[in-house]
Amino acid sequence: MYDIKPLEEEWNKYNKKKRKPWYLLGLGIIVSTIIFFVIFKFNITDSFKSSDQNKSVETFSKVEKGGSSSILMDKSLATLELEKSKKNVIAKTLEIKPTTITSYDDPMGNSEVYVKEKKIKKPRIKSKVKMVQKPHKKMHLNIIETTSVSAYKDVEKRFYASHDTDDSLFLAKSYYSKGLYKKAEHWALETNKVNGNIEESWLIFTKSKVKLGHKNEAIRLLMSYIKRSNSKNARRLLYKIQKGNL
Amino acid sequence: MKSRYEAAKNVFIDSVDVDDYIELESSVTAYKQLHHSMDKPLKMILLFGRPGTGKSILLNRISEKLKHQKEIHYFDTPAINEKEFFHKLFKVLTKKDLPNNTEVNFSALVDFCKELRGKREIVILLDEAQMYGIEMMEKIRLLSDSRAVKFVVSLHKTEDEDLIAKEHFQSRIWEVIELKNATKADQTTYIHKKLLKKNLFEIANSIKDKDMKLIHAFTKGNFRECNKLLFTIFEICEYYDKNEPSKINYEHIPQRIIEMAALKLGYIHV
Repeated sequence: MYDIKPLEEEWNKYNKKKRKPWYLLGLGIIVSTIIFFVIFKFNITDSFKSSDQNKSVETFSKVEKGGSSSILMDKSLATLELEKSKKNVIAKTLEIKPTTITSYDDPMGNSEVYVKEKKIKKPRIKSKVKMVQKPHKKMHLNIIETTSVSAYKDVEKRFYASHDTDDSLFLAKSYYSKGLYKKAEHWALETNKVNGNIEESWLIFTKSKVKLGHKNEAIRLLMSYIKRSNSKNARRLLYKIQKGNL
Repeated sequence: MKSRYEAAKNVFIDSVDVDDYIELESSVTAYKQLHHSMDKPLKMILLFGRPGTGKSILLNRISEKLKHQKEIHYFDTPAINEKEFFHKLFKVLTKKDLPNNTEVNFSALVDFCKELRGKREIVILLDEAQMYGIEMMEKIRLLSDSRAVKFVVSLHKTEDEDLIAKEHFQSRIWEVIELKNATKADQTTYIHKKLLKKNLFEIANSIKDKDMKLIHAFTKGNFRECNKLLFTIFEICEYYDKNEPSKINYEHIPQRIIEMAALKLGYIHV
């Protein structure tokens, strides 16, 4: 057997030829699958696009009813400004993004590219803000509410278990800052029950009393605390309450 | 060191040696049929089949088996001309050599045969009968009409030879025995038996059923083609065994090698 190498080469060619239909079949399946998915995707995007177009038509018609297109721009800007004043977290993050891009120093000196990006991105963000603002705002607020409620309940539970004045004082301060003065009064009293020498609990308690309309009781309580502790902060507060500046 | 595949390769050297005869279901049937036909008062028997279907080995085997029972003579190679053929026939019939510078007179030979009727029953096995011309076949037929000499004519089955058979023999009293290519089962038995006859059990086991299917597809069950293919397969195996042993699996002959052999013999093409 002297011709084994040419025979091997011949067999390699034969083997490739033999497998060719299978490769073609496999390729055909892959291509047809890709085509199928592309068409399928197009159908989905088309349906989405058409629904989006309908929505935009609807909004546009609504806007048109309200006024001209320039008014729409002004409105959106006004909305953005309002968001700024409200210190909305989402609006802030969205507004920060373009400024972050502008602060890039291009090491290659291709400032034009960045300027272009900046120019393109700004209106996009604005439009996004315009479209997404309301649902985002709602979702964010809901999250805070739900988490805060559960967190406050956890702190309350923890206080009842440990009688830690840090927890009760935290609750008193939090409720006071939120305007829930009855709750603030309750938690200030709870703190005072555990430890009667914590100045902050006295101050929140009296401030809550004032807010709830019990000004005289608050002054009386504060004066008794000043006699006991001679606290400067308590004096300042008494002065504010008497002047009616709280 | 001698490769194990060398012995296997030699098993499949194509021959009509009676020792290489493998009893298969189909060959046993053909043998019995031929034996039975020879006992009939027939003048001529036609053994018919494509090349490599085992006609020659069957004639050889029947000649060997019956040589002590009957006056049987096997003409394995066809005579190059009429003169030579009648010289051979003269020797068989008269049991004497023809004197030098003499020729056989055909009508005298026919008369001699007629005289032998009832006294002797001679069977002549003519292999490769397609090599004989039409005129020659007519003379053979006339000799067989004497009923003292019976001819078993082995003939290749090709389109042309089919025509010869139809035109010159089928109208006469003939018993036709047709040999066909082996079935996959018969071919598998054939290959296994051949290898086992030479104690090559491991190699026989290394040819799996899937390989047999492939071999049968390539050779179409033809014994001669099968011998050729297996010889080439083992030749390639022998090369790898001696030179590149990593390319051979001793437990299973790779399909690649079978296909390489098929490529070499032209059963498949790139």
